[in-house]
Amino acid sequence: MIEVLGVKKRYRKKQVIEEVSFTAQKGEITCLIGLNGTGKSTILKGIMGLTPFDQGTVLVDGKPIDLNRVAFVPDHSTFPIHFTIEQCEAFMRDFYPKFDPKLFARLVDEFKLFPEDKLNELSKGTLAKVNLALGIAQDPDYLLLDEPFSGIDVFSKEQIVELFSSDIMEDRGVLITTHEIEDIEYLVDKAVMLNRGRIVREFDVEDVRFIHGKSIVDVMREEYGA
Amino acid sequence: MIIQFNTRAPVYIQVVDYFKKKMALGELQAGEEMPSRRELATELKINPNTVQKAFKEMEEQQLITTERNRPSRVTTDEHVLKRIRTELVDEAVAVFVESIQELDVTMDELVDKIKRQYGEGNINDRSTGS
Repeated sequence: MIEVLGVKKRYRKKQVIEEVSFTAQKGEITCLIGLNGTGKSTILKGIMGLTPFDQGTVLVDGKPIDLNRVAFVPDHSTFPIHFTIEQCEAFMRDFYPKFDPKLFARLVDEFKLFPEDKLNELSKGTLAKVNLALGIAQDPDYLLLDEPFSGIDVFSKEQIVELFSSDIMEDRGVLITTHEIEDIEYLVDKAVMLNRGRIVREFDVEDVRFIHGKSIVDVMREEYGA
Repeated sequence: MIIQFNTRAPVYIQVVDYFKKKMALGELQAGEEMPSRRELATELKINPNTVQKAFKEMEEQQLITTERNRPSRVTTDEHVLKRIRTELVDEAVAVFVESIQELDVTMDELVDKIKRQYGEGNINDRSTGS
């Protein structure tokens, strides 16, 4: 389980994260929902220690984060744009001892990627798949994804959604941020809603459907207004 | 296989209902092997935990049986299969009656209309079937 406990973050004069606590379980897909600019990415980067929180604690299975067990997939490529997919892979193999070339090969195959393609030749959807493949091939227990569906074509979305319901993701904990829940309405176990730097709702998605007959979008409408 | 999911109802129950319908119609026969949970999740593009929950629910309702490390199978219990059919028909009739009651239709008019429309439906079925 990832536990985010009372974290806060200020950028200059702006308190981006007022105070946030929530958990994400292993073997489940947790979705951090919020309108644009509500601090979703800040929370993921804070968990990874890329831009540390000012206050609060992050625990992964009760211990401080171990980057060999948690992978982060940003919403943009972190590699130079003239790199080929192969070159990205080679870099990752050097950098992450747990990087699994077989798993990467399988993802390349399922996503129908061409390893010799350069990043700057790829569509946004294909680039998102490359980023995702590089993240999953680290074989992490937990995977953090920042807006994986944002601005990509419908078929790439479908391929990514299929991947999340496949054996490749089995037993991994996934924490995903999005402002477009429609794409993953049926994938999510738990929704955590962020508004103005605070958690306003945290709920089991099937429970809310069962007990209140409400969809995630219904709850979003209540929280964020029409 | 495509299920048009409703976002406001629990997905696992919608999966259970889908299989009930297949069993009632004989598209899934008594004793037939169920698809694997993993395949089903990928095919329906839903959370594997939801499929797991649907299978658990079907086991509890005795619609399917699962032996250790074997694929689940549709029950061979005739009573259960009959019960599913009755349940589905009752549910559909309840929905229909509720919507027609709002329109304040007399029983005679209703029965007459049903007979006519249902009859037409049957004729169409036969003509497309042959």
